[in-house]
Amino acid sequence: MAGRRIVVTSGKGGVGKTTTTANLGAALAKRGMRVVLVDADIGLRNLDLVLGLEKRIVFDLVEVAEGRCQLRQALIKDKRFESLAILPAAQTRDKDAITETQFEAIIAQAAEGADYVLIDCPAGIEGGFRNAVAGAKEAIVVTTPEVGAIRDADRVVGKLNDRALPIRLIVNRLRPEMVRTGDMLSVEDVCEILAIELLGIVPDDAEIIDTTNRGEPVVLEPAARLGVIYEKIARRLEGEVVPFTSFDSQGFFGKLFGALKAG
Amino acid sequence: MAMHQPIHDALAAPAVKLGRAIVITSGKGGVGKTTTTANLGTALAARGARVALVDADVGLRNLDIVLGLESRVKYHVLDVLEGKVTLDEALVPDKHSETLVLLAAAQSREKEEVETEQMRALIARLRERFDFVLIDCPAGIELGFRNAIVGADEAIVVCTPEVSAVRDVDRVVGLLGNRFKPQLIINRLRPQLVKKGKMLSVEDVNAILRLPLLGVIADEPEIIITTNKGEPLALRQDGETASAYHAIAARVAGEDVPAPAPLLKESFVDKLGSFFGGRRA
Repeated sequence: MAGRRIVVTSGKGGVGKTTTTANLGAALAKRGMRVVLVDADIGLRNLDLVLGLEKRIVFDLVEVAEGRCQLRQALIKDKRFESLAILPAAQTRDKDAITETQFEAIIAQAAEGADYVLIDCPAGIEGGFRNAVAGAKEAIVVTTPEVGAIRDADRVVGKLNDRALPIRLIVNRLRPEMVRTGDMLSVEDVCEILAIELLGIVPDDAEIIDTTNRGEPVVLEPAARLGVIYEKIARRLEGEVVPFTSFDSQGFFGKLFGALKAG
Repeated sequence: MAMHQPIHDALAAPAVKLGRAIVITSGKGGVGKTTTTANLGTALAARGARVALVDADVGLRNLDIVLGLESRVKYHVLDVLEGKVTLDEALVPDKHSETLVLLAAAQSREKEEVETEQMRALIARLRERFDFVLIDCPAGIELGFRNAIVGADEAIVVCTPEVSAVRDVDRVVGLLGNRFKPQLIINRLRPQLVKKGKMLSVEDVNAILRLPLLGVIADEPEIIITTNKGEPLALRQDGETASAYHAIAARVAGEDVPAPAPLLKESFVDKLGSFFGGRRA
């Protein structure tokens, strides 16, 4: 049975699509799933950096599309997880170097040998977005609790609805202490506006900047606060019912607040 | 625009000094282009300059929200380009700054509907009437990017101290070429993290990009709060971040403002190794 094909998208840039793709992919691989991560951001690729695989790139997505190499030759095995691989985007080409049909075919082929294909969508709703979505059967929308990000996410949800893709939501970079002081929208507010199923809540934590810069998924750090969160999201994606972490509880809040103050 | 005007009109018109058209861009999304556009525009207006802010992010506009003007937007760029309304009708006066106006992007339209040459002409018209035209570029390097830069003659690139943002900015600087004389704003710096060696320093970022530095903005919750409220931080005169925006505006206006204080020097780049080492096609 072919694996699930899920696009990770947002409309707005910089809300954490790539970080989410990398960490969710790592969390699924840690559970023994075979996972392929596809960087659809041709010309501005970054997924390789976040996983620390930038020096191992030989072939890329566009070369696969053009038939200059086989898909399996372009896939880069992750350093840490046997069952995780990435298909990098081309860095020096444009997004129109590949068509929706070509993209869809590559994703379908990748799904034959994997349990999950996660597609890291570029920002915006132009050609790069349409390519990334063309290959997917499901979508994860990532947003931050900011008015601009939510408006963009709402626009993207509309576009995904047009294609009848099931959509789930990850609220990223939540700062509970700002929600508490009324300076940030709460998860409930965001869910009410977007009216899609909640898959996960990820707090804003300085440790993600560090792990991303080092090219290490946070899922791998034994003491990581966020690793646990991504593992929960992976379990929900697998169909388990996992309660959401309450960010009101003193324990977590205290820790988080400390981290924020430090950062 | 002169080419569309009968020659005698052009000769009769008093010589106008054209304003400067500056595109705010970055490649990567979410690094603060829109926030920077709103604050720089506000700071320039506070100096008495006539400023037009143009949201080039058709389909995903946000500049109106950051300025708190979302309920006042009636027409947008495409209405003007399609001749449905005049430019004057589409310009939304800012609530806070008297000499500031916004030209909003169309929200329910697509970037492909904007023609590059029309966009060039529109910016040219704005330059006749404003001292500064700041163009808020969409993320990415597709058509929306090309339309945003076409009318500009200068560029400000916004970068956060993250390897992915630096790589994207470096790519955008390459795509811009020499015409735009790009200058750099480093946004969302967390000095505490730099000190601990967990974030790139200003020096690290600029060792790679090697661009004239316009300013450094620290990461602070105030930015999120003022953005959500639709009141740009640069409306204030005091405070570190507001001052940083005013210093950037002065530098953009050509004043000789001392360079931003060197914010912590520890190098992180060595630890990272070369992240531009990927194979080039």
